[in-house]
Amino acid sequence: MTKTYSEINEKIRNGNVVVLTAEEMIDFVDEHGVKVAADEIDVVTTGTFGPMCSSGAFLNFGNTDPPIKFEHLWLNDVHAYHGNAAVDCYIGCTRMADISPFEYGGGHVIEDLVSGKPIRLKGNSYTTDCYPLAEVDTEFTIDDINQAILCNPRNGYQRYVCAVNSSEKTIYTYMGKLLPNFGNAHYAGAGSLSPLSNDPDYETIGLGTRIFLGGGIGYVIGEGTQHSPSNRFGTLFLKGNLKQMTPEYLRGVTYEKYGTSMFVGVGIPIPILNEGLAKKTAISDENLLTDVVDYGVPRRDRPKLRQVTYKELKSGSIELNGKKIKCSSLSSLFHSRKIAETLKNWILNGNFLLNPPAETLPTDTIFKTMKLTSELKFVKDLKKDAEICYEDCDVKIVAEKIVRKNTNHIVIIDREHTLKGIVTSFDITKAIAEDKHELNEIITKRVFTTKDNEPISNAARKMKINKISALPVIDDERKVVGIITSEELM
Amino acid sequence: MTVINVTLPFGLIKKVDDYSKIINVILEQHISVNILKFSTGRSGINLLLDIPEDKINSITEALKKNDIIVNKKGRVIIDIDLCIDCGACVSLCPTDALHMDEKGLLEYSLERCLGCGLCIDACPRSAIEET
Ligand code: SF4
Ligand code: SF4
Repeated sequence: MTKTYSEINEKIRNGNVVVLTAEEMIDFVDEHGVKVAADEIDVVTTGTFGPMCSSGAFLNFGNTDPPIKFEHLWLNDVHAYHGNAAVDCYIGCTRMADISPFEYGGGHVIEDLVSGKPIRLKGNSYTTDCYPLAEVDTEFTIDDINQAILCNPRNGYQRYVCAVNSSEKTIYTYMGKLLPNFGNAHYAGAGSLSPLSNDPDYETIGLGTRIFLGGGIGYVIGEGTQHSPSNRFGTLFLKGNLKQMTPEYLRGVTYEKYGTSMFVGVGIPIPILNEGLAKKTAISDENLLTDVVDYGVPRRDRPKLRQVTYKELKSGSIELNGKKIKCSSLSSLFHSRKIAETLKNWILNGNFLLNPPAETLPTDTIFKTMKLTSELKFVKDLKKDAEICYEDCDVKIVAEKIVRKNTNHIVIIDREHTLKGIVTSFDITKAIAEDKHELNEIITKRVFTTKDNEPISNAARKMKINKISALPVIDDERKVVGIITSEELM
Repeated sequence: MTVINVTLPFGLIKKVDDYSKIINVILEQHISVNILKFSTGRSGINLLLDIPEDKINSITEALKKNDIIVNKKGRVIIDIDLCIDCGACVSLCPTDALHMDEKGLLEYSLERCLGCGLCIDACPRSAIEET
């Protein structure tokens, strides 16, 4: 049997609509089958609550007297984007405060705004004949301004990867803190509760779909940026009136050494128009797959290590190379469930009607990578031959080589050419000052290294962070194949 | 089970066999023990041990009698008003002191916390504080 939107809305108005959350739908279909589910269930609600970096809000303050046309403006010291009419702005959640970056950012401004807290507005202008005021310094709350519109160009990823770290140091990423040597794993997304996982062919979700957004009502206004349907990484462009929203579902967050973002609560109702949708909304975590990806490799195309189901992810650990590693979520399952439950109640209470999309999401867009007009350089393009000495040689020989080759770095290897350490001209000076003769006493054994296919900018960042001036280039067997020094980078 | 953090001072290690001193002391109590972590600290060899809760007093006493240091337990506190139950801290915790309950709410058990601090900078809401 098939149903129409107006039949479902009629039932919502009459109070006899049947709504299940996406989790409840799994059990229902399991017990009664798809056919009965398509007959009896009218709507399935979904929910997700996780960090969504492509989020922010348009605000309009009304004008001053005499009027001002902002050139720059700050909300609680967070620079907001001004490139529109005089007193419009966009506050983005990843923009960090000038004064306390990594502690407070645009997401926190939005949370504070929705909480009704006063926000400090500072702005300046180059002044014009029609906008003569040069500066504003004031405070406002959400009730004082004209519009506050949450407008998120990319939310609700269909699924996301699971991140691990193969490298030898702890890394801090937008996927959280990842311990070295595959010490832990993080994933995002609500799995079987996630909106787009329940409508993977975008039959009901599209331009104009009414949704739960940040605790209020919002709308899908098209496909999100980087929407990539062919490999099931669909995304949504969302908007809603911030004035109706609640801070419970809009939370500023800050990831150590990465920056700020915002948790956004999104819930989408899926009308069960036919058996196909009944079947799709019954998808369980066992059947939702994603990739385990190595964030220890700082490249766009990070190595994919294996496929994993959301069921395994939610179990608290995943298996990798025959080892169990602890795995936890970055998005909140508790709040995702609460969103699906809240939306269900709105519909049951007759307060929330469904509308057919004016246009469904594209199913054929292709995800492109950035076109670079200047060529990206790699370590292999700039490395030079390393000056080497064997680990058992004399300090004097090393010193002679430094002079003869006019270099600052001697790479120390064993007879197999394996990296053993590095000695700099400073180390030699120090050895003389301290009267040391054994290479062993002056060699730096814990050496930062790079590889042929590492982009130069990554190598440069490594040197800068660790305050060093050279990196030996090694292959997969730790054999020395060259060196890159700060001179080549300049 | 509960977790304790003990140190065998370098001064007590004269020969290789001495390394197993901690374990021997515990084995004399006829109980099983899990070694969660073994590391070299500044003043000696550190071990994180998972032991039965009801044996904690007798084990502590026995260790102290053998000059093995039982470290004061550290701990953290979670500000539940700030916490959004995301779970970003859970995978960092070596002892399951932080874990998610059935409903998806963060649970913290003080008895299992070592105060290792690994979770603190993993929290995007700055909800975890060292005490
Ligand atoms: S400090 Fe944090 S990570 Fe360490 S044991 Fe305690 S709760 Fe777990
Ligand atoms: S990381 Fe912070 S906000 Fe997330 S569950 Fe742990 S304590 Fe709560």
